[in-house]
Amino acid sequence: MSRKPIIGITMGDGAGVGPEIIVKSLNDEVFDQAIPLVIGDQKRLETAAEMLSSDLALKKVGVEDDFNPSDGDVLCLDLDLLPDELPFGEVSKEAGHAAFAYLKTAIELANKGKIDAICTAPLNKEALHKGGHHYPGHTEILAELTQTRDFAMMLSSPKLKVIHVTTHIGLRDAIDRIEPNRVYDVVKMAHDTLSQSGIKQPKIAVCGINPHAGENGLFGYGEEEEKVIPGVERAQGQGIDVIGPLPADTLFFRAVRGDFDIVVAMYHDQGHGPIKVLGLDAGVNITVGLPIIRTSVDHGTAFDIAGQGIADEKSMLEAIRQAIELAPKREQ
Amino acid sequence: MKNPDTPVIGLTLGDATGIGPELVVKAFQDENTRTLASWVLVGDKRVLLQAQALANLTLDVKEIDRVEEIGREAGTIHLIDLQNMNPENYELGKLSNESGKVTGETLQYVLQLAKDKHIEGVMYAPLNKEALHRGGHHFQDELHFFADLLDCKEGFSEINVMEDLWVTRVTSHIPLKNVSDNISKEKVMERIRFAHDTLTTAGYNAPKIVVAALNPHAGEGGMLGNEEIDSIIPAINEMKEAGINVTGPYPADTLFLRLSKDPFDCLLAMYHDQAQTGMKLLGFNKGVTMSGGLPVTLTTPAHGTAFDIAGKGIADPGATKEAVKMVVQMSSNRKAYQTQLDQ
Repeated sequence: MSRKPIIGITMGDGAGVGPEIIVKSLNDEVFDQAIPLVIGDQKRLETAAEMLSSDLALKKVGVEDDFNPSDGDVLCLDLDLLPDELPFGEVSKEAGHAAFAYLKTAIELANKGKIDAICTAPLNKEALHKGGHHYPGHTEILAELTQTRDFAMMLSSPKLKVIHVTTHIGLRDAIDRIEPNRVYDVVKMAHDTLSQSGIKQPKIAVCGINPHAGENGLFGYGEEEEKVIPGVERAQGQGIDVIGPLPADTLFFRAVRGDFDIVVAMYHDQGHGPIKVLGLDAGVNITVGLPIIRTSVDHGTAFDIAGQGIADEKSMLEAIRQAIELAPKREQ
Repeated sequence: MKNPDTPVIGLTLGDATGIGPELVVKAFQDENTRTLASWVLVGDKRVLLQAQALANLTLDVKEIDRVEEIGREAGTIHLIDLQNMNPENYELGKLSNESGKVTGETLQYVLQLAKDKHIEGVMYAPLNKEALHRGGHHFQDELHFFADLLDCKEGFSEINVMEDLWVTRVTSHIPLKNVSDNISKEKVMERIRFAHDTLTTAGYNAPKIVVAALNPHAGEGGMLGNEEIDSIIPAINEMKEAGINVTGPYPADTLFLRLSKDPFDCLLAMYHDQAQTGMKLLGFNKGVTMSGGLPVTLTTPAHGTAFDIAGKGIADPGATKEAVKMVVQMSSNRKAYQTQLDQ
């Protein structure tokens, strides 16, 4: 029997909606399936709980402790970095630095094998920079602190998972960035992630680049043959269950029908489009390729409404769910 | 019953190796479908008989030898037997070069009827692109095949219809790498106008058109590509000024989500997969594909020849009936509009 995964939840920027959406998300469904460990400032979380009239009981733990809560307690690794009077909704270097520190702690715990996945609440880029940490966002911090070069963005909905070869880049440039090694890496990441999460020999399908996946050279300049097929064949040579490139329009239809466990998309909209058509109202970004699975909400700190208790926790809850789903399944 | 307003519509059985003949036999069992127009079915009688046998149904047809025998009685199916395809020469469900060749030749015959004004629209049952190619008809797609036969050089486009949603695109069967070069302000304007005109002909009043962006996040103000700023936005603005109900560009991944929040009539995509992937997930197989911007309207069910179920008698004629309804509606409205102009 596998044991419950321990999900490290970083509080993000304490002046934003992070504390309140975390408190709102920690419900019985989560406790049934996982051991949540909030990495942040306990006082701030208690302020959020009070604001929400929540009776969530936080139990302080240290990095060396065993994360084994008794019923009803939420473990909190309290870094105690925020000033008591920190206002909500304002950029501050203290909260920016603290958000970085939560993440760094989470990675250290991951490196020691003490947590199984990381779920991140939003941070504020400006505050992060003021706090002395000059990164564009979470993903880059995680990549640098774990010395990871190759990672990929994955999206997940109940009927469809998709992972991207390229993401935030203009369509014209995206095609140039696709090359066999990257295709191979992404296929391998998909395989490893799903295998660890408990799917035996996951079925992977790879999209083509051109209409009808080039239809044997009829539409295109042989990009499928040049950029995609060698990467797919290399993965097949290692026993990975992967096929493609296939025409994207019919491939997603088949994936939703259940033919494949995950689809490898070549560019941003190719993968994002189908996921959103399926009516995903709670967006979650997943970063794979890091030494640990990381999920995050798809919204920011929402300073305009932070501290009022009105922030919607759907995305956070879904991010926690997906962290649980993708966390490596370990034996007890 | 003769009526000068009854449209005369051409029909083909599509690729004989697929489910096309069976679909035609089944679709026209429905009295409401059948009485929409007067029909000219062009194909091989033996293929039609084979389809009737496997569907265990009969289709009443009136065989004619000369085009002058075509009448305007709603509900009559005139059969022109080309005697060009013997069922002994192909196997159901197997791609056949010979069938591809004959499918193309039959369409050539039908389009000649249209050019000679014997018919006013065409519904063709599914054909197989690869068979058509192997049969010697070398065109990018059937749209270009039709345009060539009808001597059209530009202004035509494929448009997909699924229930109340119409979808068309600026570029189609071209390499993704060439898409950006084929997106100009003029091209986007032409397709917005095409969408507007097509939906207006279909009976919409000020149809609401939304335009997709090319790049992720709609280019994010030029950070992720410039096509939106250089071509798409100026095209939309100019068409708005011309009185067309058009908005955008919107990030492509959220387009279909908008449908439930802020409904629209027509979506203009920038490239093939951008539109097709979402459409297929929404069940576009039940929809209709139309070749628009040509002198006659041609429609076909959105699904293909379905070789996996050909010959089993289980094909669903739903999309074929929709395609029939649509070609009649478009052809009638065009005719009414033309009459108005002539008066």
